[in-house]
Amino acid sequence: MALNRRLEGKVAIVTGASNGMGAAEAKLLASEGARVVACDIQSVPGEEVVSEILAEGGEAEYVHCDVTSEKEWESVVEGTVSRYGALHVLVNNAGISSTSVEDNLSTESWEDIMNINATGVFLGTKTTAEVMKEQGSGSIVNISSIMGFVGGEYGHPAYHASKGAVRIFSKAMAVKYGPYGVRVNTVHPGFMPPMTSSNHPTSGSRARYVEQTPLRRTGEVIEVAYGVLFLASDEASFVTGTELVIDGGYIAQ
Amino acid sequence: MGDGMSSNGIGRLTGKVALVTGAGSRSEIIGNGQAAALLFAQQGCKVVLVDFEEENLSRTLRKISDQGGEASFYVGDVSNALDCQKMVELAVNTYGHLNILHNNVGVGGSGTVLEVEPEQWDHIMAVNVKSMMLTSKYAIPEIALSGGGTVINISSISAIRPRGLTPYTVSKGAVIALTKAMAVDHAAEKVRVNCILPGPIFSSMTSVNMSDEVRELRRRSSPMGIEGSPMDIANAALYLASDESRWVTGISLVVDGGVSLMSPQR
Repeated sequence: MALNRRLEGKVAIVTGASNGMGAAEAKLLASEGARVVACDIQSVPGEEVVSEILAEGGEAEYVHCDVTSEKEWESVVEGTVSRYGALHVLVNNAGISSTSVEDNLSTESWEDIMNINATGVFLGTKTTAEVMKEQGSGSIVNISSIMGFVGGEYGHPAYHASKGAVRIFSKAMAVKYGPYGVRVNTVHPGFMPPMTSSNHPTSGSRARYVEQTPLRRTGEVIEVAYGVLFLASDEASFVTGTELVIDGGYIAQ
Repeated sequence: MGDGMSSNGIGRLTGKVALVTGAGSRSEIIGNGQAAALLFAQQGCKVVLVDFEEENLSRTLRKISDQGGEASFYVGDVSNALDCQKMVELAVNTYGHLNILHNNVGVGGSGTVLEVEPEQWDHIMAVNVKSMMLTSKYAIPEIALSGGGTVINISSISAIRPRGLTPYTVSKGAVIALTKAMAVDHAAEKVRVNCILPGPIFSSMTSVNMSDEVRELRRRSSPMGIEGSPMDIANAALYLASDESRWVTGISLVVDGGVSLMSPQR
């Protein structure tokens, strides 16, 4: 059988690529032929992800990007386009968890979470969409959460607000940039292994998540990565403004 | 875009067996079920094609054998319980197991509740909803016995954005509810159930009597300014059929070029 990779020749930026879901997405996109710009603020694990991709014969580089900085976004996007000549895919994966903060009703924590999870996605999407508009094509995949649909008792409510913002912001951008061939979609993971920013108090609550999930387990990062791959690829060329829920059936109930 | 093979060159559905209803095409224009059957077969899946007319199926069968795929067919009515039982038996007897049920059969239905004849309403519900209950009734136990798998139902954005096609809208809304209910009911048996909500797709079904003006209006209804093809729906079905989506169940995947994002402008 012919070996045709699903992102052959594409250039992709993945944020939060140093750990967890972002690392899995960067590796999967690279294994399907994309040249990956792996962005994060943690350079050591980020360089490790890049080394793994290179060792597998893929193409990738690590670039520092604080997603809350408009200036850094401009530099990442300009740098990518000048080095590779195009930008086809952006995965806005960087984010912090609802339990990354001490006080679940602190205003400062609200601002931190909204800043990274919502404003970060806004900045990345707007900077990239303009380049893609000039190109006449592109696919932006924004990582939201099932918490963008439902409430929950743990952590800071700003997490839900930030993920809800990602969900509806992406639809607005899908309408705005659709005429230029730019697609914007969201992925909504369910209960996943704890994030590096997580400070989750008990393992008991994780057991409850499993119990409440119809498929009776938490997710694996590769399962989210495959959803991202589908939306990033031309297989989804008629898919925009949509929500891909990857949650073991949690919100179907 | 290539043939979509995974990077190791193995098909994404290698070793699996699928039952695809509505897999025929009434003209040379491709249909949703036909596109899915072709794509599944191309990805290494053995496919049982179902349609109510043998002639419709022969077109699909020929295309699959031309590309070196493996398929069988069953001519029958998916709103008939005995036919549904027999098509599942055919799949299991021919290929030894069943992993995927893809429900594509559907008919249109326009008008308000004041206009629709009760018999017409019953017919639309039977073809669009009861059929999916019946095929699932017989397929799910076999999918569970095969170690788990997936059911993929075709709904429509008409379910979430009504526009004068009330019987159709209601039937497609029922497909979403049926999908979620079956997803919750059968998760423990490792049977995943999801649905796709297509927008303006130019297919063997929708192309019938469609004027160029209407076709252009449909294109303009999406922010992307394009119509979809049955291959767009088939690619979504392939994702849902494959193990790549093994943690995905109970979802409604909209494939509409963004039409449902801007309902009043349709």
